Amino acid sequence: MKKKNLIFWMFLFATALVATSHAGETELNYRLKWLFNTSVAGDIYAEAKGYFREAGLKVNVREGSPEKNAINELELGHSDFGVASADQVIRALDKGAKIIVLAQLFQVSPMQWIYRTDQPQIKTLEDLKGRNIGITFGGNDETVMNTLFAKAGITKKDVKIFGVRFDFTPFFKREVDVWPVYFNSQGVILKDKLEKEGEKVYFFNPADFGVNFVANSVITSEKTWKNRPDMVKKFTAALLKGWEAAMEPSNEADVLMEIKKKDKESNDELRRLQLIATRELIKPLASIKIGTIDTDAWKQTETIMLDEKQIKKPVHVETMLKN
Amino acid sequence: MLFRRIYQFLIVYFIGLIFLLLIKAVLSLSDYVIPGVGLITETFGQVLNTYFFDVMNTMSVTVLGQCISIAMAFGVGIAGRKSSWMGSFIKVTAYNIQAYPIVALAPIIFILLGDGFISRLLIASMICYFPLLLSVLGIMATPVEDIEHFYIITGRMRWQLEVKIRAFENLSKITTVISGSATLAMAGTIVAEFIAANAGIGYSIRVALYQSDLAKILVALFMIGIIISIYQGCLETLGEQIKTRWSVSKGGNTI
Repeated sequence: MKKKNLIFWMFLFATALVATSHAGETELNYRLKWLFNTSVAGDIYAEAKGYFREAGLKVNVREGSPEKNAINELELGHSDFGVASADQVIRALDKGAKIIVLAQLFQVSPMQWIYRTDQPQIKTLEDLKGRNIGITFGGNDETVMNTLFAKAGITKKDVKIFGVRFDFTPFFKREVDVWPVYFNSQGVILKDKLEKEGEKVYFFNPADFGVNFVANSVITSEKTWKNRPDMVKKFTAALLKGWEAAMEPSNEADVLMEIKKKDKESNDELRRLQLIATRELIKPLASIKIGTIDTDAWKQTETIMLDEKQIKKPVHVETMLKN
Repeated sequence: MLFRRIYQFLIVYFIGLIFLLLIKAVLSLSDYVIPGVGLITETFGQVLNTYFFDVMNTMSVTVLGQCISIAMAFGVGIAGRKSSWMGSFIKVTAYNIQAYPIVALAPIIFILLGDGFISRLLIASMICYFPLLLSVLGIMATPVEDIEHFYIITGRMRWQLEVKIRAFENLSKITTVISGSATLAMAGTIVAEFIAANAGIGYSIRVALYQSDLAKILVALFMIGIIISIYQGCLETLGEQIKTRWSVSKGGNTI
């Protein structure tokens, strides 16, 4: 009986200890833009390595999708922080949303196009003429490609446009020459598949032609930013610490292990290649601090969207960038 | 019948819209999350024309898909009406095929058949077919004993006659099920377009979703609702006319 009592009191004590250790933590939700994969290595790593906990935060990192939009969740109060691309942020600002950008994760946009090396290399925008180009209608790749067309004076008659979706069959069957991909995820998968078939690929990066369309960035609501500045500061610092550590080549094995726990779809080698590709986009130069907001690129993104009539009026996005 | 369908839809649609606007007002949400009346009206003006043709595109697949599913349901229903081994085998096979969610099969269909008309048609037919099949099987497997008995004992019963008797004696049920299945065929087509097609209103909804444009989605829902109401109203009216004619030919007033 005494033994049973002792176990009971020990259990109670342990429970109280755990509860106390979490009592000082602020719980918050962080909505990603997409599913758990190597593209969100830093987010996964910050959580796994306890950087949030060290900052006194209990962060629920949640997967995103087109239906699980971070901006909607911020407004509805379901999330405190989120990841959104610049076009989403600018569109939301145009419609009266109060969004603050805290950090820009991708310094180089992952939105690129893949094509085979047995086709002439695209060295100038003129080289796009006559190609069969894949575009996700309604996606930001459509906006980017339209901007490139406008820049080069290319009309829709000069190219063939193919509406793409999730399966790559038309590209494999060569029905489409130039296929839109996220460089560090689908790009790696397609490159790997084609190389196994003895085919080499090129990537067409709009940034090389002066179009810098900003991708994933960390956002919060204006309300949270104003009312809970300490929490915002702690969260951003812990998150970027996670990204810095995740992009450190010496941590590669550990990072890959943490990603594997969340993303069981890809194989080990693909994940490793995706991590290398992600590093190129997040920290293209050693001198660039992770999270740096490229104000000029944001302004250019806004200009592109205005020109493409995706927004009705200037939103002065630079006023919402708080690095 | 037609007008009743339309105003019933309008009531439901506007109740839904008012509910959304109330949420917007209570939670002070921006137009990005829930668009205001002004934005919805403006979007309506901008996309009405495009969405009308998109819905008509979807509708063409829907009608054809529904016809195919009716033919399939009647084919399988007639073949599986007997309590013989073959009848039971056909029924079990038909049920098992339906056990796979179409949404899970859709990507395979699109990979094999591409994202054109055939894929949309097939998915629409598959979604619409099963509820129809259940009703048809129920009707075809239930003898109308007081009529069939006469033909059986006089040795004049053939399977065509049996099917005719059971179909006409259950005409009311069949027309209700067929008009109801129009909604399923439409839903099937939209699901197919949403997943992977490059045309139709489902595809337009997907594009609007990419842009988080709820105003466009609301307009699309309005267009879908109106057109499907008209279609269903027409089917019901047609069903009523067939029933009336059948009743007159039998010498009665109504069935």
